[in-house]
Amino acid sequence: MKKQYAVFLLIASLVIIALAAVAGSGSSFDIPAPPVVGTVIDDFKLPDADGSEHSLKALMGKKGAVIIFVATKCPVSNAYNDRMEKLAEDYKAKGINVIGINANNTEPSAEVKSHAAEKGLKFTILKDDGNKIADRLGATRTPEAYVLDTSLKLVYHGRIDNSQKTEGVTSNDLRDALDELLAGKAITKTGGAAFGCTIKRVS
Amino acid sequence: MRTTSAKLRQTIMRLSLFLTRLAVIGCLVFAALGKPQDPSAAPRSAQPDLRKVRTADWTAEPIREINLDGLKKILQRDGKDTRPLLVNFWATWCDPCREEFPDLVKLDNDYKDKGLNFVAISLDDISDIKSVVPKFLTEMKATMPVVLLNVNDPEPAIKVVDATWDGQLPATFLYDKDGKVVFRHFGRINADELRAAINRQVGGKP
Repeated sequence: MKKQYAVFLLIASLVIIALAAVAGSGSSFDIPAPPVVGTVIDDFKLPDADGSEHSLKALMGKKGAVIIFVATKCPVSNAYNDRMEKLAEDYKAKGINVIGINANNTEPSAEVKSHAAEKGLKFTILKDDGNKIADRLGATRTPEAYVLDTSLKLVYHGRIDNSQKTEGVTSNDLRDALDELLAGKAITKTGGAAFGCTIKRVS
Repeated sequence: MRTTSAKLRQTIMRLSLFLTRLAVIGCLVFAALGKPQDPSAAPRSAQPDLRKVRTADWTAEPIREINLDGLKKILQRDGKDTRPLLVNFWATWCDPCREEFPDLVKLDNDYKDKGLNFVAISLDDISDIKSVVPKFLTEMKATMPVVLLNVNDPEPAIKVVDATWDGQLPATFLYDKDGKVVFRHFGRINADELRAAINRQVGGKP
């Protein structure tokens, strides 16, 4: 038993050494890498702004779900408020539910609640205190979207669209992915990068 | 029995922690010493000098707007320029960017004569290029070169900078003389960490 433990620790040390060698320098250690598209996500439970716990599975629509990491203070996330609410309304009717997650440790539940009321965000927003789920999903910024099919398989991870300004939108990446998911097609573009605010994690 | 087992486990744990630390230090030393040439390092092309002397009055001279090609040119640099390059992506609307800016200004002052090239790339909206942006830079007494990146689709720009970056701000990258990323940080920088990384590139403290 003890021997096994020692062997395990030795292997763990070697893995860390290998990782350190690959990563070289810098601080890319801080945030775990996100699951690759195609990975099945484990179900999780988080409280909403009122403190009621919800499981991911319970919040899923019949055809899938979109998790979006959101913020109250981030101007980029705020630029997307109307688009996120419209997305939630449009796709709820089609069987895909939008689930917001606020993982900023600088934004308490009460603020999340008043912000949602003020901005007209009616989809469920969960509070990820201690950024456990943000870590599990490798989320780095707001807004950042994850699309899951009914088996909780990740089929899209990235931006909502290409432009913070609605008039500049030329690539509706998230909506395109959702439409393909609903049509039972393979997702053509499974992600996309955009500028956003760093999620304020606990240190 | 349980105590002995716990003690043993603790000893093993300490030993493995020590080994890990030793290995990490070893890797850092290895990285600091003879770094092999990276064949994937970006090719270079002619590029105007970024280190143009300017005063801290940002309202006097317009801030340069760049597109994707301009960004590529900054990252590729001039073939004769062997200085390490520090690049910070920021915006006036980004709180941690504003918070870390005084550290960057100080760092620029400390290292500009020590062989460090530095450019701060603003992601503010183009409509703010003559108002909010120069006002902030003047307040900060910033003297590093600043450009504003104006692209409709940010993805190609983000990916040309670093494959591991998804666009979260602030983002800070240090490139060695060969154009390879040797330090990256997302979110507010730790000034000591960044200084240590720069020291490794410029060979010594300022």
